[in-house]
Amino acid sequence: MYTGLCLSDPHPDYYSDGSGLRTLSATRFAGRYRVVDFMLSNMVNAGIYDIGMILNSHYQSLIGHIGMGKEWGLARKSGGITFFPPYLTDERQSVNSEIDGPLQRAVQSLSSAKTEYIVLVDSSMIYNMDYRRAIEAHRTSGADVTAIYAKKRLDPGCCENTVVFDILNGERVVGVGLASDSAPADGCNVSLGAYIMQKKIFFQLVAGEKNCGMLRFSRTLLAEALGRLRVLAYEFKGYSAQICSVETFFQHNMEMLDSEKRNALFNFENRRILTSRRDTLPTKYGQSAEITNSIIADGCQIEGTVVNSVICRNVLIKPGAVVKDCILQGGTVVEKNAELGWIITDRSVIISENRKLIGANTYPAHIARERVI
Amino acid sequence: MGKMSQSKECIAMLLAGGRGSRLGALTEDIAKPAVTFGGKFRIIDFPLTNCVRSGIDTVGVMTQYQPLLLHDYIGKGQDWDLDLLYGGVSILAPHAAWYTGTANAVYQNENFIQTYNPECLLVLAADHVYKMDYSVMLDYHKKVNADCTIAVIEVPIKDASRFGILNTAPDDSVVEFDEKPEKPKNNLASMGIYIFEWDVLQKYLAEDDKDPDSDHDFGKNILPNMLKDGRRLFAYRFDGYWKDVGTEESLWQANMDLLDDMHLGFQGWHILSRSGGRAPHFIAPTGSIRNTLITEGCEIYGSVENSVLSEGVIVEKGAVVKDSVIMENAYIGKNATVQYAILDEDTIVEENATVGQAREDGGKLVLISRGSIIGREEK
Repeated sequence: MYTGLCLSDPHPDYYSDGSGLRTLSATRFAGRYRVVDFMLSNMVNAGIYDIGMILNSHYQSLIGHIGMGKEWGLARKSGGITFFPPYLTDERQSVNSEIDGPLQRAVQSLSSAKTEYIVLVDSSMIYNMDYRRAIEAHRTSGADVTAIYAKKRLDPGCCENTVVFDILNGERVVGVGLASDSAPADGCNVSLGAYIMQKKIFFQLVAGEKNCGMLRFSRTLLAEALGRLRVLAYEFKGYSAQICSVETFFQHNMEMLDSEKRNALFNFENRRILTSRRDTLPTKYGQSAEITNSIIADGCQIEGTVVNSVICRNVLIKPGAVVKDCILQGGTVVEKNAELGWIITDRSVIISENRKLIGANTYPAHIARERVI
Repeated sequence: MGKMSQSKECIAMLLAGGRGSRLGALTEDIAKPAVTFGGKFRIIDFPLTNCVRSGIDTVGVMTQYQPLLLHDYIGKGQDWDLDLLYGGVSILAPHAAWYTGTANAVYQNENFIQTYNPECLLVLAADHVYKMDYSVMLDYHKKVNADCTIAVIEVPIKDASRFGILNTAPDDSVVEFDEKPEKPKNNLASMGIYIFEWDVLQKYLAEDDKDPDSDHDFGKNILPNMLKDGRRLFAYRFDGYWKDVGTEESLWQANMDLLDDMHLGFQGWHILSRSGGRAPHFIAPTGSIRNTLITEGCEIYGSVENSVLSEGVIVEKGAVVKDSVIMENAYIGKNATVQYAILDEDTIVEENATVGQAREDGGKLVLISRGSIIGREEK
């Protein structure tokens, strides 16, 4: 039996899509997804149907999205999705008193569960991976902990608390550090924030801890245990991304226009990324629509020009409107002859007729939800 | 269902066993209600959604012909919020004898209906796309104190001879049924939607079952018998969009209607469906799209005009798709041309191949059956 543990927000300081409203895991991605869809799908695609979702803050949108977990097959009589919000252990606790740390919240429930293995993941990561193989590798290698990583270049916009590993002979993790402490270079071993281990090892690691999240787990607990535990590295070779700022939100969404990267996430018949479905009508293109190099979700009505953009559900783009290098989130309306460049709209934004709004490629401008411009 | 014995005011019985032979190759291996419509729906989504939106939470779906895909599609009804502990959707396949007619299908399921002890029974076909609030019809049925209420729609009198016409008195009570009349006296066409008083219908079904000359059909037998006995039959007028999708041409036309008017989606409720939930579609720098519906999972590198594309359709560079309905996972290779055609699921049109002729040049609608591979030499 496997249990998945998702940490919804290992970097609580970032509000990635500029809204200030959503935890990283609830950030919108690729026109119709939320970031959390990737980790939930990876889990269920590997047959893990018992998932704990640890919440820290700004999680209303995330809970609303996941609901009972129906779309992932997680609305179940045994297992399924369990939420661990901050205030749950002691009824006398008030909002102001000290709360249990993220991982501690799950410990109690795990200790009585039948589960043998824990798959601990950072649900703000974006990748489509066959966890079955990683689990298989973990069992055959005899590792105490298997840490999943990707070899990649750290770009300047990478997230501040990105964890990197020192790996000996491509096998054993011998050091854990922060990307910000070392000079960015080609071929860093970047942690994907995913660890496979036996439940008892997990308990040993977090024993005595009061407030332990993903960063402390990797950076301190695991780092200190490298001498006594066999921590083996497992390389993931596909596309991976993490959103932690408006800039990276923009950058990684735009990467989905690249067919190779898009296919690395979405083109697996056996490993579909599942998300909530609303049965919105297909998108309707009018007589005057001009579209190039864009991904467009369902339910839109497009009569204007769209170039190099990511368009979410139910967006209306009227005749004469020009949308270039933009991310328009659900329900945005772009009225006649309006012009947008390097703009991110949150949901239900209205851009009035003839308005012209241009951000910059280094600074895409964010428009808060339900604003009328 | 178990030991619970809560009655329902009205439950629906959906006739979904028809072969739909007028749809040709489209229904060779699936039942007509399972045929794809409008890019991401199947025909059965319309009556199912209408039921749920009308507050009818118990639907018996009577299947017969090629039920496999339909059974799988409906599942427990979760996509229509019909996965209920008491009620919801029930699949009613014939278990003792083949259903011999529409009335016989309902009669064979008398026990199922009786479980819910309903006052009224709504009988629906699954041949049409339309949005209708059956609860308004039910209110009308009660108001006029009818034994049976038949939904009707006004059709142009010149087309009336193609329909089952109801001749009515000024109070819309039915005085005569005229099946495909040569000289129509009225323009109210039956929509194949009936509400019956269940206890009254039960009597007629039992009598009909004993009649060796009966076709066991609502339109041909049950309704005329009720009229003969002086039962209260009323016409209920519906004035929304209602379209038969029973032939290749009408299916094509109904899809094209979506391009002119999004009446099926943007007014009132939207149609619930079991869509695949794939990634948004991608339109490449070489792609061009005019007056078209495109849905999730499509990748467009070529040119598409006046068409409706279902999930996962790929149109390669240089390919041209025009005036066509393309169903799930069809693949249109480089520089291929598809004009005035319906391509069923999993069709492959190879590089440089041609399907159909331009509609404006008098081409005829072409239907390519499921999984076909169209090479350069064929048409």
